[in-house]
Amino acid sequence: MNLVIDIVDENRKSIVNLSGEIDAYTAPKLKEAILPLTKHSGHLVEVNLEEVNYMDSTGLGIFISALKSTKENDSQMKLANLQDRVLRLFKITGLDNIIEINAAIRGGNE
Amino acid sequence: MKPQSCVNINKEWDIVGARQVGRDMAKKLGFGTVDQARIATAISELARNIYLYADSGQICFEVIENMQQQGICMTAIDTGPGIEDISQVMQDGYTTSGGLGAGLPGVKRLMDEFDLKSEEGKGTKIKAVKWLR
Amino acid sequence: MANLINLDAATYKDLMQHYIKTQDEKSLYQIEQVSKNFIKNNILPEEIVNLHIQALSELYPNLLEDFQHSMDFLLEAMISYGLAHQEYQKLREEQYALKSEISVAASMQDTLLGTTKPEIEGLDIGVLSVPANQMNGDYHHFVKGKDGTLGIAIADVIGKGIPAALCMSMIKYSMDSYPEESMSPRNILKNLNRVVEKNVDPSMFITMFYAQYIPSESKLHYSSAGHEPGFYYNAENNTFEEIKSRGLVLGVSPNTEYNQYELKINKDDMVILLTDGVTECRDGDRFIESEEVLDVIKKYADLPAQEMVNQVYKHFERLQNFQLRDDFTLMILRKRV
Repeated sequence: MNLVIDIVDENRKSIVNLSGEIDAYTAPKLKEAILPLTKHSGHLVEVNLEEVNYMDSTGLGIFISALKSTKENDSQMKLANLQDRVLRLFKITGLDNIIEINAAIRGGNE
Repeated sequence: MKPQSCVNINKEWDIVGARQVGRDMAKKLGFGTVDQARIATAISELARNIYLYADSGQICFEVIENMQQQGICMTAIDTGPGIEDISQVMQDGYTTSGGLGAGLPGVKRLMDEFDLKSEEGKGTKIKAVKWLR
Repeated sequence: MANLINLDAATYKDLMQHYIKTQDEKSLYQIEQVSKNFIKNNILPEEIVNLHIQALSELYPNLLEDFQHSMDFLLEAMISYGLAHQEYQKLREEQYALKSEISVAASMQDTLLGTTKPEIEGLDIGVLSVPANQMNGDYHHFVKGKDGTLGIAIADVIGKGIPAALCMSMIKYSMDSYPEESMSPRNILKNLNRVVEKNVDPSMFITMFYAQYIPSESKLHYSSAGHEPGFYYNAENNTFEEIKSRGLVLGVSPNTEYNQYELKINKDDMVILLTDGVTECRDGDRFIESEEVLDVIKKYADLPAQEMVNQVYKHFERLQNFQLRDDFTLMILRKRV
């Protein structure tokens, strides 16, 4: 399986649309895409996980390092549209308490 | 010392020219078919490196001899970017061209002696010797 | 070596001559043996073609010149195969060296992180931890306190292999330095969290479940740092339930506090602790559900705890075609009296 990363840049906001699996093989690619976005002060990074059907702990690691980077750089990260299996992982690890997660389906033109 | 003959490498077909010069010399010296083929393959690798990675360069051939034996010595000189990490390019399985190149480790295997000097930004000089048994 | 080639050359020529005459299977079998010998002695393909050329020219001195050229052409085509063969051989040797280096590291890890399954009266314990590769990123540990309590840790480092294993050593040494009796599960996790937070890469984290069994009260005190939830089996009702606990993984936020929970354990009750290598087993493209893990455990529930754990492992090992995707650790504690 592969991971497709599509980034839409808006003013002071980037929407990262992911589709596929996040595991040890695709995680480095994700890290390369997300981390730079968190380096701009005041910037919002919104990650849409609607099409992600599998994520392992390596994927969590990427979101943790992105979160740490938002704190250092005064930016913000939100995760949206998590599938149940992926959401469960954030809940078990307690990360849903420190990462902003929006489970509702994001609006907009499909 | 016998005069050496050199072939300039600028385009891909110059590789064929270099092989021809090297093979003729090897044949004249009395190398068998297997060694001729090996020498020609080594020349290909050296010449391809020049063609792919350096603007220009040349390969020179000379007959050498010591007390016991005669041999062929090839020197490839280019003014390319040089090799940053020599031990890395000498490692098996490492080729930057992404192709199925035997690369420099291949040249080292095909020949009896191998020496490489490189300076970043200035170029590379490779010497390879095959002795006649 | 030159002698060897000459010997082979004679054999090759004889066999070929015989085969040309008779076309029998025996010669073909014999050349198969010679060919294996070639490989063993690092004879390269171009040299074999050359043997063929020599044999031909000796047997048929008046062979068509065009045919001779064609053989030279073939020889030329073999040179790169010869090089590739040598390269593979070298890489294979290197791989072998690397493997044995890793296996030394793995057995060192076993010694460093080793823990003995304690004998606690009235408690039947089964535990099994199997790495997906050579080095294990899962960890479990038993500490028998002087007051008769039993400390139980089960942990999982993100990722697997060598980086995970190195990280686990750090955890082990931190835990060893704690005066065990005075430490409650929540404090152990709180302390470990600080150590991990300071010492690992931002994308690295560890999950841990720490429990303390108090035989005199038949109680389990526990805290979880984001660890895969285990299960509690209530023998009286014959039901399994998830062991509920909340807590952040170790290494993310420096001043994390952990909740501590309590569980009363009665006769024949079981506590099942595991890592996500168990629950994230895949059957082809399908993930198994946690009910399936419980079903398998139920199936072997009559066996002693260690036997149960072994059978459950065998079940999932077979399900995944004997190729674990992640480190697998399973622990079952059963109260016998």
